[in-house]
Amino acid sequence: MAVFNLKKREIECKIVYYGPGRCGKTTNLEYIFKAYKKQVEGEMVSINTEGDRTLFFDFLPMELGKIKGCDVRVQLFTVPGQVQYSSTRKLVLRGVDGIIFVADSLEVRREKNMLSLKDLQQNLKDYGLNIFKIPMILQYNKRDLADEGMPIMPIEKMEKDLNRQLKVPSFPGSAVKGDGVGVTLQECLKRTLHSLQKQFNWAQK
Amino acid sequence: MSKQIKSLLQQAELYRSQGLLREAKKKYKLVEELIAGSDKLPNKQKLLNGLSKKMEALNRDVENIEKAPTTPEMSAHVNELIKKLFSFSSKDKDAGNSALEGAIALAKFGQFEGALEEFEKLLNVKSQRLSAAKNILRCHLEMGDIETATEKLEKWQKGDLLVSEQIEKLTVFYDDILEKKGLKKEPVVEEASAETASQEEKFEEEEEFLDISAVAITFDSGPYKGEQVELDVSFQSGNVISLIISSKDEALIENLKVGVRLDDVHFYSPVAIFRGAGLVSAMTQIKSGPKKGDYSLDIKIESL
Ligand SMILES: Nc1nc2c(ncn2[C@@H]2O[C@H](COP(=O)(O)OP(=O)(O)OP(=O)(O)O)[C@@H](O)[C@H]2O)c(=O)[nH]1
Ligand SMILES: [Mg+2]
Repeated sequence: MAVFNLKKREIECKIVYYGPGRCGKTTNLEYIFKAYKKQVEGEMVSINTEGDRTLFFDFLPMELGKIKGCDVRVQLFTVPGQVQYSSTRKLVLRGVDGIIFVADSLEVRREKNMLSLKDLQQNLKDYGLNIFKIPMILQYNKRDLADEGMPIMPIEKMEKDLNRQLKVPSFPGSAVKGDGVGVTLQECLKRTLHSLQKQFNWAQK
Repeated sequence: MSKQIKSLLQQAELYRSQGLLREAKKKYKLVEELIAGSDKLPNKQKLLNGLSKKMEALNRDVENIEKAPTTPEMSAHVNELIKKLFSFSSKDKDAGNSALEGAIALAKFGQFEGALEEFEKLLNVKSQRLSAAKNILRCHLEMGDIETATEKLEKWQKGDLLVSEQIEKLTVFYDDILEKKGLKKEPVVEEASAETASQEEKFEEEEEFLDISAVAITFDSGPYKGEQVELDVSFQSGNVISLIISSKDEALIENLKVGVRLDDVHFYSPVAIFRGAGLVSAMTQIKSGPKKGDYSLDIKIESL
């Protein structure tokens, strides 16, 4: 949940990477940690279990510097995607300001993407938030696997599956290579800060 | 065929490397069937042996994952971080509630020892006393220590930390969880006062009926009993969806008589797949146009 300190002109907001298990949320964060060293404020904390699966969350604090006269801080989180960690997932989502939904392009994960989006919708609803209104971006991850001849879904199909009603910005990506990771985050930040501006009018005119 | 096998094996290896173990297993199984069913492959037995080694390794992965601990011991530093990251009330305006939320987060993440320390401190904060006491009992129970929980409750019942109304509430609460114990798998921890949280986060809600693009119906009787049939939705008006069924598909028409309840339907929407139930509300034969002779079937969505 965004925290404002209007006197000191500081904002802190929370962005959560959501998506089915193994879709590449943690890999997104790891890339950001490496590639945006200057903006990273401290360490990345990951709480994992066997096989590098996220057990609780990953956490990466960032400091974006001054935007419209305000010091902007961002907390990036990933949720555990595996189905059985539903209560933790919900807890990590609490207080979210913007969402990056990472979808797995592998054909075998088609249904899992949709189920995870439904799970997100339900969890947001339980917090009194509407999936159609919260700042959100889609990332179609693992596009690189096409080069290895793996069966992945065409972007159009994923748009139809996941974005026909949401109509949010979407980006292809390859988190292992870092492709699309930056723009996804930037677009999400842009939307999140814009939405917070509408709600709280923080920017200096 | 060997090309197909090779491609399937590559897929299986990749899925395994990404931790998609179920998907990997499915592909291995498929390869196994292909090899077993073929009589042209020269080194069939060798291939099968190699494959079963791979499947064994995969099963070991699955096992390791299943028996991995779900509540690791975390450093004090991480515990502090969790308390900070998951307390949502303002520390300045409502320090007690903020601390309670942090402690609850610790408990939810299975860090019962750390959580207990925090809850014990919160017993000294008047406004949080009852919640703290409830959570202390919960923590002990989650740690499998009914004895300590009961002792604590008895101590509070005799002492004067809590007023009699609070003691009554606490006793009812405790009896209640003892009764439910063994039924719930995940640790459930008393929420911090819900009102403050929801007031802050509540925005207006809006119900929108989702577009359904396709359905998959599993039948529990009739010619299609036990099978799942996928059909595209051609038209939707609110909670009624229309499907076209080819006149050739007599068995399906037979199965979908007006008034039939469909208890196991997957509704595919762009947002997600919903499991729910529907009722066949109309069936009309199309009289003209390219679909002449086919049937238009209406299903009323009863629950999603
Ligand atoms: N080829 C390819 N592999 C990827 C990509 N992104 C992630 N992976 C791989 O997918 C696997 C899972 O990645 P994670 O980042 O751990 O996935 P996650 O979404 O955090 O998974 P959970 O924590 O279980 O929810 C790892 O083996 C990654 O290397 C990608 O863009 N391309
Ligand atoms: Mg992860």
